[in-house]
Amino acid sequence: MSLVRSMAPLALLAMHGCAGIQSALEPTGAEAERINVLSWVLMLFCAAVLAGVCAIAAAALFGGNAMRARLSGERLVIGGGIIFPFLSLSVLLSYGFYLMGSNAPVIDTDGRLRVEVVGERWWWRVTYIDEDGRRIESANEIRLPVGRPVEIQLTSADVIHSFWVPKLAGKLDMIPGRANSMTLHVTEAGISRGQCAEYCGGPHALMAFFVVAMPEVEFAAWLEREAADAQPPSGAEAVTGQALFQSSGCVACHRVRGTVAQGTIGPDLTHVGSRYSLAAGTLENDPAAFARWIRDSQHVKPENLMPSFEIFTEGELDQLALYLDQLR
Amino acid sequence: MDLKDLHWTTIAKVLALAAAGVIALGAVVVWSGVYNVAASQDHLRITTWLFEVIRERSVTVHSYPVEAPPLDDEDMIRLGASHYEGGCVPCHSRPGEETNAVVRGMLPAPPDLRSIGERHPPEEIFWIVKHGLKYTGMPAWPSSQREDEVWAVTAFLARLPDAAGDYRALSGLTRGALGGTSGELASGRALTQCTRCHENERNGTNGDRIPRLAGQTEAYLLRSLREYADGIRPSGAMEPVADFLSEGERQKLASYYSSLRPAAKDKAVAPDPEQIRRGQSIAFRGIPQQQVPACMNCHAGRQSPHFPLIAGQHAAYIETQLHLWRQGGRRGSAYGRIMAAVAEALEPAQIEDVAAYLASQARGLASASPMAEAHQ
Repeated sequence: MSLVRSMAPLALLAMHGCAGIQSALEPTGAEAERINVLSWVLMLFCAAVLAGVCAIAAAALFGGNAMRARLSGERLVIGGGIIFPFLSLSVLLSYGFYLMGSNAPVIDTDGRLRVEVVGERWWWRVTYIDEDGRRIESANEIRLPVGRPVEIQLTSADVIHSFWVPKLAGKLDMIPGRANSMTLHVTEAGISRGQCAEYCGGPHALMAFFVVAMPEVEFAAWLEREAADAQPPSGAEAVTGQALFQSSGCVACHRVRGTVAQGTIGPDLTHVGSRYSLAAGTLENDPAAFARWIRDSQHVKPENLMPSFEIFTEGELDQLALYLDQLR
Repeated sequence: MDLKDLHWTTIAKVLALAAAGVIALGAVVVWSGVYNVAASQDHLRITTWLFEVIRERSVTVHSYPVEAPPLDDEDMIRLGASHYEGGCVPCHSRPGEETNAVVRGMLPAPPDLRSIGERHPPEEIFWIVKHGLKYTGMPAWPSSQREDEVWAVTAFLARLPDAAGDYRALSGLTRGALGGTSGELASGRALTQCTRCHENERNGTNGDRIPRLAGQTEAYLLRSLREYADGIRPSGAMEPVADFLSEGERQKLASYYSSLRPAAKDKAVAPDPEQIRRGQSIAFRGIPQQQVPACMNCHAGRQSPHFPLIAGQHAAYIETQLHLWRQGGRRGSAYGRIMAAVAEALEPAQIEDVAAYLASQARGLASASPMAEAHQ
């Protein structure tokens, strides 16, 4: 009893790891659902085989002589050791091929929404190409309509990264000079988390992103807002923040559409304030996090390619943070 | 006693006793104060000989891995002579002049350096200037990161005695102090030091290894002087000078140079148009695939006054500083650490290109992007 009582919280903790926004066991995408079915079939089948093996071992240990004689016969060895694995593994493999075979892009993507994701060190460059061929650049977050398959094109600007959103689909590598393609078909509105799944250098563990699935109508409205230029800052503090942003070198790497900031080296910040995270899933998105990131980026995410800007006073950092927070 | 009967323990005892005797004698000599350390009296001849052999061997062996860059550049020799005037003359005197009486009382007396080139190859001169010599009064170079400065001094010394005749011109002594403003600049001593190398109303810089300051932003000049004085920006030449200035003098100097009208270019080098085009592209567009942002996003003169203007700066100076950044030599200040990310992403050939382009431009504000069309 005491053993059960002491193990229960641990077991609960372990089970907790299976739930949440990055769990392959709680799929909300068509492909992840297929993977989920396959995983459960495999797990149940393996559990059954394990139970059978245990039963046979127990019979050999504790059964009588007659039982042992039967178990040591050639029939069981040939039947259980050759025929059964051959048949069961063949069936499982065929089933796996059947289930996963539909991973290939099923839709004719011409004239439909596509999303290009480029793995960078250590963030995600996200470009939506809508029905009219408009290219809308964003970063570190992907929004998708529910109930409609969307083609995701994956490549890398530098080293090999891997794109994995466990709740939505299996992982696929992002390889420099090559475009890999997958289809995300989200079945339920909500947020899931993705993570780079191929070691890509120091800050690899801090290269994550959120995928936000929205009902079709909301998505269309969101995409329109995302395509628009940045709102001008409101309030004297934010206006000063914008002036600082433009005079302190930020614009050399970052773009804020509709302003002089036209850098392309780092993430597009046109609507950065509306995202769920900063620095590719590293920080919460609020003014304090902006200030911390600007002043201390090399401590928050060591070796990332943005130098720490320790040249600002606290007041200036607040103004900058306010301006960036208003970019929604 | 027959030697055959001599047991090893006996030998050990005798040796131990002898060693104890030597140590005791040594202790008496050291503690009694018998040895005369007066500089007024020469060492024993054997001591002098021993010191010299140790010194020469040490310099030869330690300078073995040093590799000399080309040392025949005229402006490099000028820079070396300028450093020499500031840091070396107090002890070694100007070439051909007598050392002063105070210094002559040193033991060993600072050698006449006119024949240094015959006694040492450039690698050894470099090593001595960089590291100094124990027990001679010869100090190490104030900044161990600035090998470029040490090489300049080496280039000058290696050119002696031929360069001795031109010394006053090479070191900037003939450039004269500044004109009307000196009275206003309090002690005046400060600016006399500055204009020997940097510009004044009449002259440009003393060679292209020395940065042009005229027309530079005041905030940047003041920040640089403070960084030198605080030891977070390395320079064997500027750190001691800036440290010696009061805050008020620093402000006056920054303001003087910022309002000084940039002189016309000293010499026109025919630029290579292809190189200028490459450099212009880096200056205005950067190299995005290499994570190099465009220079003019910060340095065009329309941004923070803490960012220096770089159009019209000497190419050699820009190159030296960018290489210093690449070697981690300018990570001392917050501003320097930002620029480090850019400099480290540049290839040496690209540094040459962009420096050549910037040097070919007029001093001061950069023109609004001449590549605006290309940018669109």
